[in-house]
Formats: sequence, structure tokens, C-alpha cells
Amino acid sequence: MTKLTVEDLKRIKGEAQRTVLLREGTARAKVTVFMGTCGITAGAREIMDEVLQLIMQHHLDDVIATSSGCAGLCSKEPMMAVEYRFSPPVKYIDLTREKVREIFESHVLKGEPVPEYALGVGSETMG
Amino acid sequence: MKAQRTHILVCTGTGCVSAGAFDIMETFQKEIEKHGLQEEIDVVPTGCNGFCENGPLVLFEPEGIFYQRLKVQDVPFLVEEHCLKGRPVPTLMYTPHRKKTPIPAMKDIEFFKYQKLVALRNRGRINPEKIEDYIAFDGYLGLAKSLTEMSPEQIIEQIRISGLRGRGGAGFPTARKWQVCKEQPNSPKYLICNADEGDPGAFMDRSVLEADPHAVIEGMAIGAKAIGAEKGFVYVRMEYPLAVERMKKAIKQAEDMGLLGDDILGSGFNFKLSVAIGAGAFVCGEESALIRSIEGQVGRPRQRPPFPAQKGLWGKPTNINNVETWVNVPQIIRKGGAWFASVGTEGSKGTKIFSLVGKINNTGLVEVPMGITVREIVFGIGEGILGGKKFKAVQTGGPSGGCLPESMLDLPIDYDSLASVGSMMGSGGLIVMDEDTCMVDVARYFTNFLAGESCGKCFTCRKGLERMLEILTNICNGKGKEGDVELLEELAIMVKDTSMCGLGQTAANPTLSTIRYFRDEYDAHIKEKRCPAGFCKELITYSILEDKCIGCGACKRVCPTDSISGEKKQTHVIDTKTCIKCGACVEACKFDAINVV
Amino acid sequence: MPKLTIDGLDVEVEKGTTLLEAIRFLGIEVPTLCHNDGLTPLGACRLCIVEIGKPPRSKIVTSCTYPAEDGLIVHSNTQRVINQRKLIIELMIATVPSSKTIQDLASKFGVTKCRFVPEHGECIHCGLCVRMCNEQMMAGAIGFAERGKDMVITTPFDKTSDVCRLCGACMYICPCCELRCQGPNAETTVCSGCLNLEAPCLDTYDEKMCFLDPCAACELTGPFRAEKKKKVQA
Repeated sequence: MTKLTVEDLKRIKGEAQRTVLLREGTARAKVTVFMGTCGITAGAREIMDEVLQLIMQHHLDDVIATSSGCAGLCSKEPMMAVEYRFSPPVKYIDLTREKVREIFESHVLKGEPVPEYALGVGSETMG
Repeated sequence: MKAQRTHILVCTGTGCVSAGAFDIMETFQKEIEKHGLQEEIDVVPTGCNGFCENGPLVLFEPEGIFYQRLKVQDVPFLVEEHCLKGRPVPTLMYTPHRKKTPIPAMKDIEFFKYQKLVALRNRGRINPEKIEDYIAFDGYLGLAKSLTEMSPEQIIEQIRISGLRGRGGAGFPTARKWQVCKEQPNSPKYLICNADEGDPGAFMDRSVLEADPHAVIEGMAIGAKAIGAEKGFVYVRMEYPLAVERMKKAIKQAEDMGLLGDDILGSGFNFKLSVAIGAGAFVCGEESALIRSIEGQVGRPRQRPPFPAQKGLWGKPTNINNVETWVNVPQIIRKGGAWFASVGTEGSKGTKIFSLVGKINNTGLVEVPMGITVREIVFGIGEGILGGKKFKAVQTGGPSGGCLPESMLDLPIDYDSLASVGSMMGSGGLIVMDEDTCMVDVARYFTNFLAGESCGKCFTCRKGLERMLEILTNICNGKGKEGDVELLEELAIMVKDTSMCGLGQTAANPTLSTIRYFRDEYDAHIKEKRCPAGFCKELITYSILEDKCIGCGACKRVCPTDSISGEKKQTHVIDTKTCIKCGACVEACKFDAINVV
Repeated sequence: MPKLTIDGLDVEVEKGTTLLEAIRFLGIEVPTLCHNDGLTPLGACRLCIVEIGKPPRSKIVTSCTYPAEDGLIVHSNTQRVINQRKLIIELMIATVPSSKTIQDLASKFGVTKCRFVPEHGECIHCGLCVRMCNEQMMAGAIGFAERGKDMVITTPFDKTSDVCRLCGACMYICPCCELRCQGPNAETTVCSGCLNLEAPCLDTYDEKMCFLDPCAACELTGPFRAEKKKKVQA
């Protein structure tokens, strides 16, 4: 291995930014895919896969993808919620890979929710 | 770099490893592969989380959900539920003592809530065996800054502003120590990291080396630039195999990346580091004994002055700091001395790691701001005394620290206030004792430890401690006589005054402080031949209370000497002549019918 | 040239002088046991303690190992020093009651009673023999082994030393050994003979004769050797 310079050090740090983000739990946007049994049956794995791929394609190092259990609305699965900065999470329903891409481009990247796919705004849990 | 959704951080400090953390980690990996999640989820070994009582510990990020006391058979279920279906598993979470609802998030648990992590900032967060992880969390940026932007004087000035004092026990200002060594005309100069942690029940140095070895390297490299040293040693005891292994790995990685060796980061600065392994003598934590040990001689302290800064390793100027001191350095340089000094008290800045052990609900490793009270640690972070018993004393500073009574619970913990009440900061051991602990026996126990660990050179330390131990043992055995306490005090003061090194000078603290605060217990042993805590075997008798015994026979069955007799449903009787006072009956009796006086 | 004050007297000494040398240079008496002008100071017996600095921040150090530093204030005979010294002698008496050197010290400092159970030991680990063997006899046949209360003076691995020339210098300098052997005695006399033989040569005794010829005879026929054998076998 070649010897590092100060610039190399900063580059390695930059590349590892995703790790930091994941372990510190702070990010620009957080995408939660609901992956209960119902969600998985309805294709939530595919949705998660798409989200992760999109994050990679766009070289995003400040977006977290995470999973959660059944949201209780099994007939509308697969579902996901997008939390942009400090605004309340928006739940999207009946997702497909295409819809995910659209939501990603608009909501995750630009912070503009996509009302036509959304179920509602807000979170029923505390905190 | 692949995008992932979850990191499973498995604590692999020695505590969790002995509880089976490596098996847990392996099972996680297997289960995750079984479900085809290996692209999305990473399993990361980390250093000690500090909550060793409840190991093996696992943290799921970014959710911050904390699982504890995991068994291998829990893992498949946990992976299926949490990773696949996204349902956290409450039964594997931490439930506080005497409460019913589990707490999912690590940050909400009392034990972690009050802590402020500076030295331990990377614990449970990075993989200690991956240098990239360390760099990701701002690692080596302090070194880069000190090499490219700062002069040695500026580095020492920042350390001075930070108010950092030696974390190994004595609390000597680090900047002054560095300054003295820097000013020495001789060369080469050496740096040593003292990781010879010998206190029973203390494990902060081990934990730091296991969790964040690169921070030690970075701190030492910065110190080397400030002092003008080219070679350093990390002195670890052989009883810490995992720490030795991780430290060696870290040094290798840093060398490969050019962060150690010649021309570091292209700045022209050279620094080499190696691990020196000690044989585990308590006295080798003393600077001059440690130096002799590295030189290959018998680890026995020598007269100071000349101090190691003037004449140390192989007669050359040598600067020795404790592990915890070194790991604070990179952050002081990166964030500035004033940042560090913003926490703590007037005379003691920053945070301190304590290992909280004894009769307390949450044992483990905690890092708290200086100036926090004993009460906050014991009843806040520690969540009180085990089994709801009454607090009696806390010993600070390891085997040669003093025991503080209940009236001192609101004492702020810093170097100066601890010294003013006859104890010391030491390396940061906190041993909590409850009402069942006999303070004379505590003094006896620690005096025994120190009498065995004394190097033996000074007649007063060797013989004085041996005689103190003799008197203390006599008192515990009911053979104490009038005047023993006074003689004990006289001896203790002599040992403290006339011994050469820190071991002897502090060895009398347990005895002196227990006499000072628990004189009544000594008197009860000597005058009334009674042990108030019901601990000293020679001074207690077991009997069965008639009104409480229902004659179930549980005690009779467990008695190893067949000293208990009695018919079914009749009050049982203990034959005190054959009773060996083992206490088995007390544990077996469900009706509190066994009386110990 | 460091200048210092000893018991109120100003004195200037050469660099590298120890406090003990400076104090003795002024004619002030300091008791020592493990000190010998021909050997490196060890600071083992702690008898030569003095108080340095000003109370309440003063501290006690051994004058034989402490360097004479510029501006140092030294008191060689404060009450604190005397008290500690007397207790040290009392402990020494309890350790080796039969040593004449220690008995003399006790009588000189007015230690008239001993509050400890006597050990009837044979060695106070002053290290004189070790240093004598290493530094003057250039043999290095004996040294300290173990630590703390288990510390002993012995040959490496307790084996017969092949570098020991049986010169006897160790016994010559020993404060516990010297003046104790009275040669062969009548069977009725209780001899407090060379108990301290243990240090360098008792374990090799069966093969070698002690340099003190009468002493050896005493040991072989007298009661102590038998006692020791019994102890070893037990």
C-alpha cells in the first residue's frame, strides 16, 4: 500500500461517510420500508432492493434506508415512508419499482413529496 | 461502496467475548446469509460498550436498538424478526431493575444516558480492527493537523489550555510533563503508553485498547511531534491477549498506510511504535518499574529524581502517559483545548472513565464528566445497590484507594476533592459495597493484595504491610486486642511516609480510610467480638428463628456438614459446634428464618 | 554545584552527591543499615530517612538515594523522622531479634519494647550481600527472587551456583549474620549460630563446606540443621 497524504486521509474519510451516517443515525432523508410478513409477500424486498440501488446510483452518503414491521394497512402493501430532514414522514402505498424511482427523484432528492402515491402525512408513533 | 440499510454492531470486548460474542457474531453472519441479506446488512465487531454486566451486547444501527444477554439460539429468531420483518424484539431488550417495560433504544437506557464519551467515543461504534472505520470517524485528522499546521509549542499550548491531567492516578498536568521532556537536551527521546492495569476489578485501559487502538497510536504520534520523540512503546500486560492482538494489528495497519514510520503524511516526521509485553506485576504500573521492565530488568521502582523525563528508558528522556491520557490527545488537537476544558471542574477538566463494580445493579465501564457526584454514578448510572440493600461505602482509585462512607455520597469526583478526603482518583476503579460488607475485611483484603504485589525492596512497605495484614487478620478472626487500631494507624502512617514509590505511599489508604470512617466496626470486632456486617466467620453464629421456621427441611438438605437437625414441620436447630458458617442454609431458606449474628 | 540547607546549615556540594553524603559531610549522624560506601545505594532499610521541603508539604525520603539538589531544605532529625525511624527499628527487631547490629540500633534509639510477635527470621533483605556479590566480588551469584512478602535472596532458580566462589563476602557484610556464630558449643548451650546461612549457601550445603569452618561443624551437629531439614521435608 502506498503512503497516505493528508488529502488521502480526507478522501478515505469521505468514502466512509455512509458508515458514519448509518452508525450515528442522522441523515438528510430516511426511507423506511415496511417489511412485515404481509409487506414481504407483497414485494417489499424488491422495494428495499430498489431503494438501496438508487442510493448507490446517486452516490448518496446522507440517505438512510431502513426497515420496519407491518404498518397495519396490509391491503396497501408494499409501503414505505420517507422522512425528509425534519419534516414529518410521508407514507407511500401500493408501490412498484417505478413508483419508488419517481418518489426517490422527487422526495428524497429534492424534498418534494409525491401526493398521488401518498397515503398521508404524519406518524402514529411517538417521537 | 455498497449501500446498506443496517449495521449490526456486536460488542467484542473481553467481557462480551467471554460471554460468547464471537459465536453470536458468527451466527448472525450465517443467518443473514441464509436470508440473502448480506448485501444489505453488515455485521461489525466493535470494542467494549461498557455495559459488561449484560453481555453479549448487540446494537442495531441506524435504529439504535440495543439487545443484551443474547444467546446463540436467540439469533435466528432475532434476524428473522428484526432484519427481515422489521419488528424489534422486546424480550431481548434491556429492562431496568424493578421495572417491567423494556427500553429499546440505547440512548434511553439510564446506564448510557448520563455518560459523556470523549475517550471512549468510538466504543461500540467502529470496528477496532479496521483503520478505515477509525478514519471515517475523524481518525488521524488530529495527527494531520499537528503535523502540517502546528509547531511543538502550539501542541503543548493546546494541551495546557485543555487542562488535561494524567489519567493514570496521580493527576500530573500532562502539558507540564511534556514540556519537561521536550526541554531535555539528550536524544533520542522515548514515549511510553502505560497500559499495565493491575487493579482488581478495573478494566478501562484494556477496554480502550480493544475498542479504539488507533486513538492510542494517534495520541502518541501527536505527543511524539510535541516532545521530539522518534520511538514509542505500548506497555501491555500479557493477561490482555485481545488488547495485545488488536494493538499489534492497529500498528501494522498504521505502518502500512504510512501513519507510522518514516515521513508520516509526507511531513518529514518519523515515529515508530511497538508493543512491549509485561508479565503482569501490579508494581510495573509505576513509571520507573515499568521502564526497567521494558529494559528487561526486574520491575522494581527506583528513586526519583531523576524523573523519567530526565533519565528514563536506557537513560534517555522518556515521557510516560496512561492509555486514557493518550486517547484524549487527538480530540484536544482536533477540536482545541478550550473544547476539552469546557467540561469538568476548576481543577479537573474533561471526562474520566470509571469501572463500576461491586454490589451494584449495573456494573460496567462508564465515562462521565469530572465533578459528577458519587451519588449520580451509584444511584443514577448504576441504578442502585444489588438486591435493594443499603449502601455502605464506595472505594475509589483501585486497591490503594480509600473507602468513602454514605455521608460522602454528594462529593464531586475530581482529583482534588478525592485526595482531600483520604482517597484518590487512581486509574478510576469504583467498588461499591453494601451493608453486608465488613469494612475490616475490606481493609484486610486490599492489604493482602498490596503486601503480595509490593516489590519488596523497601523494608517498610514489605514488612509494614505484612504486619498490618497480621493485625487486620487477627481482628477479623476475633483475636484483636485493645491498642491494635492505634498500632495499625501508626504502622499505616509509617508505610505511607517512608516508602519510596507510589505503591507503598498509597498502600495504607484502605486501612486509614476505613479506620477514619468506620472506626465503630473495628471497635465492635475488638471489644465485642462481633462483626456488624455478619461477614467475619470467626465472629458470627448461625441460628434458626423459631417463629419463622416452618420445618420444611430445605436447610437440612443443603447443609454440607449435617449440622442441622429437626423433624418435619418442627423448628430445626443448628449445631454450632459443627457448623462451618458456609451460608448455604441462608440461601436455601425461603422464610428468612436463619439468623446470623 | 548545588547549594542546600541541612538542619539550618547552608552547604554547597558537588553535583551527584547524595543527601546522606552531604549530611555526613557536615558531621551530622544518620543511622544506616543497608548502606555501604563501597556499594551502590539501594534504599532498602529506610533508616536513613530525612524530611525535605517545608511542612505541610514536606515529605520523607531516604537520604542515601536522594540527590542533593539546589535549594533543597533538609531536616535530618524532626520528630516525624524520629518516630518513623523508631517504628522501623521495632519492626526490624521483630523480624530478626538475634542480630546484634539491629539490637545495637534499638538500644541507641531507645526502642525498648517490641509490640509485634517476633519472627525469628534470618534476613531483612537489605541487599548488602547481593550488591557485594555483584559489585565487589563481580560474581553475581545471588539476587532477589519473588516479590512482596515472599521476596527471598537466593541463587538463580535456587540451584547451586556455578559462579559462586564461596568467598564468604556475603556473610561478612550481612548485618544479621555477623557476630552471631560462636563456633561449636556444648550440647546444652542453645546456639544462635549461623541461621542466616540460608541466604547463599545453605541449599548447597551438602556439597560444600561453609567458609566458617567451626560454624559448619556447629550446623552439622547442632540442633538447627536438623530443625531445618525437618522443615524442608515438611
